Order: sequence, then C-alpha cells, then structure tokens
Amino acid sequence: MRSTRELARQFMPLITLVVLVVAVGAFQPQFVNPATLLQIASDTATLFVLGAGVTLVIMLGGIDLSIQSVASLTSVIVALLLGQLGYLAFPVAVAIGAGVGLLSGLAHVRLKIPSFIASLAIGGCAAGAALLLSDARSITLGETERGYTAWITGRALGIPNEVVIGAIVLIAGTVVQRYTAFGRFSTAIGAGEPAAIASGIRVGLHKVTAFVLSGAAAGLAGVILAGRLASGSPTLANQLLLPAIAAVIVGGTAITGGVGSIWRTLVGALIITVVRTGMTFLNVDIFLQQAVFGAVLIIAVALTIDRSKIPIVK
Amino acid sequence: MTAAADAVSPQGSAWERWRRRLGPWAPVLVLVLLSIAIGIANDRFFSFGNLSRIADAASIPLVLGLGITFIIIMGSIDLSIEGVLSFGAVVLSLLVLNGVNDNDFGLLGVVIVLAIGAGMGFVNGAIHVGLRIPSFMATLGMWFVGVGIGNAILGGIQVRVNDELIRALALERLFGFKYQVWVALLALAGAFVIERYTRFGRYIYAIGGGEDLADLSGIKVRRIRILAFTLAGAFYGLGGVMAVAQQGSAFALIGSDRLFTTVTAVVVGGTALMGGAGGVLNTLVGALIVVVLDNGMVLMGVSPYVQQIVLGVLIVVAVAMSVDRIRTRIVK
Repeated sequence: MRSTRELARQFMPLITLVVLVVAVGAFQPQFVNPATLLQIASDTATLFVLGAGVTLVIMLGGIDLSIQSVASLTSVIVALLLGQLGYLAFPVAVAIGAGVGLLSGLAHVRLKIPSFIASLAIGGCAAGAALLLSDARSITLGETERGYTAWITGRALGIPNEVVIGAIVLIAGTVVQRYTAFGRFSTAIGAGEPAAIASGIRVGLHKVTAFVLSGAAAGLAGVILAGRLASGSPTLANQLLLPAIAAVIVGGTAITGGVGSIWRTLVGALIITVVRTGMTFLNVDIFLQQAVFGAVLIIAVALTIDRSKIPIVK
Repeated sequence: MTAAADAVSPQGSAWERWRRRLGPWAPVLVLVLLSIAIGIANDRFFSFGNLSRIADAASIPLVLGLGITFIIIMGSIDLSIEGVLSFGAVVLSLLVLNGVNDNDFGLLGVVIVLAIGAGMGFVNGAIHVGLRIPSFMATLGMWFVGVGIGNAILGGIQVRVNDELIRALALERLFGFKYQVWVALLALAGAFVIERYTRFGRYIYAIGGGEDLADLSGIKVRRIRILAFTLAGAFYGLGGVMAVAQQGSAFALIGSDRLFTTVTAVVVGGTALMGGAGGVLNTLVGALIVVVLDNGMVLMGVSPYVQQIVLGVLIVVAVAMSVDRIRTRIVK
C-alpha cells in the first residue's frame, strides 16, 4: 500500500505533465510542435531557477518567501551596473542575491525566527533596497548594455540559451543534492530534524547554506529576467513567488521536508507553464490565473504533505 | 537559569535576563522613547494636527492587526490579509454608489463585505483544519486567490466611490479625529471584549499555549481555529471598507504592502509568533510604533523606500526578542 503511494508520488507529476501537454495539444495542435515546446521550455527557465533554489530550503522543512524580492533587486542591480562593470555585473548581482539569502538564513538560524517570517522580513528589506536603488522606476537597458545580455537572450544551435542555463542549474542542483554532504544532510534534516541534531549534523550550517543557495538562484533568476525583458525594475518578479512555490510542491516535493528533488521542481515548473499557456489559449484572464495557482498550490500541498511529521498543524 | 539552557545558547543568559526584566512593557517603552526622540528632533511631531494624522494612519493597521492577533495568539499565521482586503474593497466599490454601475446598497454593502471577509476567513480555517495543512500555506493560497479575483473583476481600472457614508469615514471629524479613527477604536473595544470576556478568547490562548493540552482538556480546537480565522476575515473586510474610504476609490492592488505593515505592528507590539502571549492591546501599541516611526521618518525627510527596510529590520528584531529560546529547539 505504502509503496503504491510512494510510486504515485514519484510519477504523478510526470503523468500530469504528459496528460496536460496532450490535452492542450488536442485543443491546439500547433502547441505540440518543436518550436512551441522550445518556447515553453525557455518561458519556464526563470520559474524553474527560482523554484530550484527554494526547493533546497523546502527540503529542509523551511520556506523562503524572499525570492521574488531578491530577483527584483538583482534585476535592478544588473540594470544599474551593466554599463560600468560589463559582464562583472552578473556575478555581482548573483552574489548580492546570495548575500540576501545569507541574511535570511542567519536571521532564521541564529535568532531562531521561523523561516517564513525571517524571509518575509528580509525580503521586505530587499524590496525596499530595490525601490531605493531604482528610485521606484523601471530601468531600461541601453543598446550597448543589451550586448552583454546575449548569453541570456540568444540561441545556440537553435536552442534558446535560457534553456541551456536552466539545464545547467538542473545538473548543478542535482549534483549538489545527490553527491555533496550538504545535499545528503539536507534530506536527513528534512526527514527528521531531532534525529539529525542527535547524530551530530551541523543543522544550522546546512540551513544557512540552503538559504544562501536559494538567494543565489533567485539572484540568477533576476539576472535572466533583466536580460529577457531588457530592463530592471523593483517589481519585475512580483508575480513569481506563488508560481515558484507551486512549481516545487506540484512537482511532488513535500512542504514538510525530506522528500523531493530539483528534477521534480523542473516537472512542476513545466506543469505550471503548460497550465498557464493552456489557460491563455482558453482566454482565461491573466489575473484569474493567479487565483487558479493559489488553488492549485493548496491542493498540491494537501496531497504531498506528510502529516505524520506534524502532530500539531499550526 | 539552568546549565542546560546555557549550553543551548552560550550568550543566552544575559540576553534572557535583559529580555525578562523589560518584559511586557518593552513595546510601550519603545513607543514612548521613540515619540520623545522624534519630538525633540522635530517640534511639529507633538502638534495636534500631526497626532491626528498618526491616529488616521494607525487606524487601518490597527483593524487588520486586531484580526491577525487572534490567529497569532494561537501560534498560527494568516498571510491572506491583502487578498481578503482587496477582494472586499473591490466588491464594496461595486455595491455602493460608485462611478461604474447603478448600485446603491449603502450600509448593506458594508455588511455584505464584512460577511465576505468572514466567509473567506472561514474558507482559510476550513482548509487549514480540514486538510490539515499549515496555516501559512493555506492563507498564502488565499492571498493570491483574493487579489487575483479582485484583479480579474476590475482589470486595471479604479472605481470611484461616491457613497457619502463611506466617504465620511475619511472626511468627517468627531472631536477632532476622523470617523475612521473612532471606527478603529470601536473595533479595538470589540476585539478586547472578545479576547478577555468570552470563552473563545480564553480558548485561543489555551491553544497557543499548548494545543495538545487544550485538546485533552476538551476544547474543540478545530472549531475554535475555524472561528478565529472567520473572525479575522471579518476584521480584514472592515479594513477593506476603511481602505476604500481613505482612497476614495477601489482598485485591485489596494491591499499591497499591508500584510507587511500589519505583521510588523503585531509582533512589534509584543504578541509572540510562538503563540499564547500578547493580545489586542499589544497590537494597538505595535500599530502606533510602526506609524510613529513612519511619521517620524517622513518628518525627518527619510526616503519612503528606506522605511520598508526599517520595517523589515523591525520584524526581525521584534520576533527575535519574543522567541523563547529555551522552549524552542527546532524552528522551521
């Protein structure tokens, strides 16, 4: 019985994705041609990168609500620095994202503040910083600056570079999860924190690391967005928090931690994008789509959550 | 202080002693010191005009904060404030005398919006309790559902509200303060009575203090939880009405950034996120601290964007001070 459930958990997201693609394809045959599918893949890249980062935090049983503010902040930073620093602006932006993640992680671990409130607060600071730096305006990239973003917007061998970036993040994330001490310990901590503490795992260190990586991923997502939209703005990523978390959960990573992986988040992100594309085909209002994702998120959480881990649900 | 506790956090002892000595009066002390400091820096601060402005600005955060206080006392959280407020505001603007359709429900419209708020809160509670998913997740969903539907109804447009009763909230004055300040105080009185003199009020403290014990002593925990979320939703609905009054119109993003201010107000007031401690009077003090700080920064010419950063830092400091480090080993 249990193994059936495990199997279902393992493959449900993938089956859902295939069914969705077929369903949308049945209504709109042009949906299932290589060009459209590649477009979908590149549309998914930003969402996936955001989701991949937050997956690492959710694996530990925490949550990072600062990702959209971090991504907006780094889009502003790229837009401001690209003219002076050139390519150096990108690593600087990602590093600042990681720095914000570090702050969230430290506030959470050192001050023992629940992760959702620590990341909400630090995210608020990041949003404030983005408003301050940009003077609450959208900053458009100039002609020369756009030259530096070709690695985001261009294509190699017919494949959009964003897809390649997404693939690199997928590989890197999987390696981190499977073959590093951090990855193994994360799963252990998420599966049972008291046992992890008792066996001498440095829980605090790994939690902070997860937040730093999540911040860096959000920073990278902001960089990609800035390249894609040729601008930086303090509200650029504002609608992405919910879809990103939904992508993680829909992919089958449990909000209670311990179960999940980056590739599941990829499947989840693709589901979100296909659902969104499908809704656009069906002329569902773009704002109503947010409401749908809210509902999808709740259903997915209810299906994947491990209730044995939380005797008291707060 | 036991040796074991010291071992958990090395610098814990001095910090804990300091925290305990200041105890529950810390928020009031902060409010007074803050006011004096700003008053010294700028003598306009204590003018009646400015104090009345502070009362105005505090009224919506207070009303929203009252609602979420009940939730936080239980040790849960409600992230749906902006969703409920926005949706309520949008519906209100379409029910009362407005610039878009011919409706003119007046006070009935307000009652309907309060009911809608309560209904959305009920759904929050039912999802949280019924599906057994953490409250922050259930209400995160409702946040986006509320704002999304509000957005879908109005698109990008702004609906002007011409209803005199509602406009009066933010325009007419009684004893020098706007009606909305009195409405907020009435809401405070109501919340205070609920907290102190009803069984429900006692039960939410019991749940926050130790849910397993509350359950064993026969409290219908699930029912109380749903009731608390329902009540909170009604307060957010009222907040929506007041927001429409203040803006003179409704738009889908009318709730933006209010969650942040509200949570800051509640935790800065001394209501612990762990649950079981604090109350609506703390929320009054917290709302005043947030608004006074805001007002002081405006008086001193600090950029409005810096204010959000200050609020973020404030949340971290306030929560850090209220966490009982001895009782909690695992924080998620």
